[in-house]
Amino acid sequence: MTSTERGDWQDGRRDAASLAEVLHVLKGRRLLVVGASLVLAGVALLFGIFREPAYTAEAVVGFAPQQAPDDENARQAFAQEVFSAITSPASFSEGVRAEAGWRGTPEEFGDRLDPKVAVLVDGDMEMRVAFSGREPEGAARVANAYAEAFALEAGRLGEGQLSGGTGIADARVLRRAVASGGSGPPAVLYAAVAAGVGLLLGGGAALSLEGRTGGWRDVRDAEVTLKAPVLGAIPDYSPAENEV
Amino acid sequence: MGLEAVSGTDARRLLLGPDSPVRSHYEDLAGRLLSLGGIRSLVVTSPEPGAGRTSVCVGLAGAVAGMGRRVGLVDCNLGDPRLHRMLGEPNFVGLTSGLEGDMPLEHYGYEVAPGLLVVPAGPVPPDPVSRLEHEKLVAAVRSLEQGRDLVIVDGPVAGGVLSSPNLSEGFDGVLLVVHASRTPKSLARETIDDLLEAGTNLLGVVLNGCT
Repeated sequence: MTSTERGDWQDGRRDAASLAEVLHVLKGRRLLVVGASLVLAGVALLFGIFREPAYTAEAVVGFAPQQAPDDENARQAFAQEVFSAITSPASFSEGVRAEAGWRGTPEEFGDRLDPKVAVLVDGDMEMRVAFSGREPEGAARVANAYAEAFALEAGRLGEGQLSGGTGIADARVLRRAVASGGSGPPAVLYAAVAAGVGLLLGGGAALSLEGRTGGWRDVRDAEVTLKAPVLGAIPDYSPAENEV
Repeated sequence: MGLEAVSGTDARRLLLGPDSPVRSHYEDLAGRLLSLGGIRSLVVTSPEPGAGRTSVCVGLAGAVAGMGRRVGLVDCNLGDPRLHRMLGEPNFVGLTSGLEGDMPLEHYGYEVAPGLLVVPAGPVPPDPVSRLEHEKLVAAVRSLEQGRDLVIVDGPVAGGVLSSPNLSEGFDGVLLVVHASRTPKSLARETIDDLLEAGTNLLGVVLNGCT
């Protein structure tokens, strides 16, 4: 199909790709774009379906020094020191694993465990422990065992065991972990995100290929690219012309 | 078979013959071109050598003549004239002869088909580019419009047309030939921009060598 429309096409330069040209390129290479999107979506869907479920449970232990340090840095250092003093001995983790009935390896236990200490605005301190397990009940059981053991050991810490010369005034489990029902985003969400990424990657690849490819596929391609009417299209009859 | 890999009888048959496989495509082009209205003469150019300007000129002229109209085809590609070679004709006299002589330009041409007068470039002067700026060139070529419906000028590449006010401004329009697989897109875009910025009446594009 050719065009004989004249007028507006003579305005403006042709060095910048227009939205119409981009859409035309994407349409022309739709197999690449859609294919990339479908492949990524399929891979993500399989990942979502067959991935190992991960249930995360979190418990919180609150504790406070007998004599509060003067400044923020000192409080932060105290909290870290308490945490290290309690959790560094191997017996602590062993005790938690035994209490929670953990059947995996210690290394896997360490990988799934995520404890953090923090100093709150009012000067109180807390230790949050999160544990990711294959089952919600198991994750909550380990998190609670860890929190209870931490609180118990914090209460036993003597003044001489901490460099600040002060002990723990109070340590107790503020919030117990509960078994949650969710194990992360559903597989369909993974697939949707991957499909979007696939569209972007496929579109980028299509535009890149178009930029490297010389020539035009058809009249419509030439009209969109040149932003000028194509009055005629003459077919080629030779693989190698000796042109003027 | 390539349209410009052949010359003489083969080229005439391919481009001018009534049974030519490309005839209908040139007839479509001619129809659209004539439908623009007010175009009595046009310059055919291309962004780069090898796009097929001469074959498009011959095919277009043949199609217009085949419609019962009278056409003039002049080779103004003085730097590298090809029209006579494509048609298998001599180039003893032609446009350059007409510019130096006193007789009308049609006396230096010949009919290759009913209603189709071809004027070859003629003897190539040592300074062909400056010859394009001959003061008589436009008037001599446009004199062929007398008694003819269309005069087609087989011009040089776009750079040559742009550097020649005679070619860029002396005729009713410019037709740009691009080759579907050889002409770089960026070059074609730049050429169109340059032609428009120079004020030429760019009529449109011919996509040559489509698959």
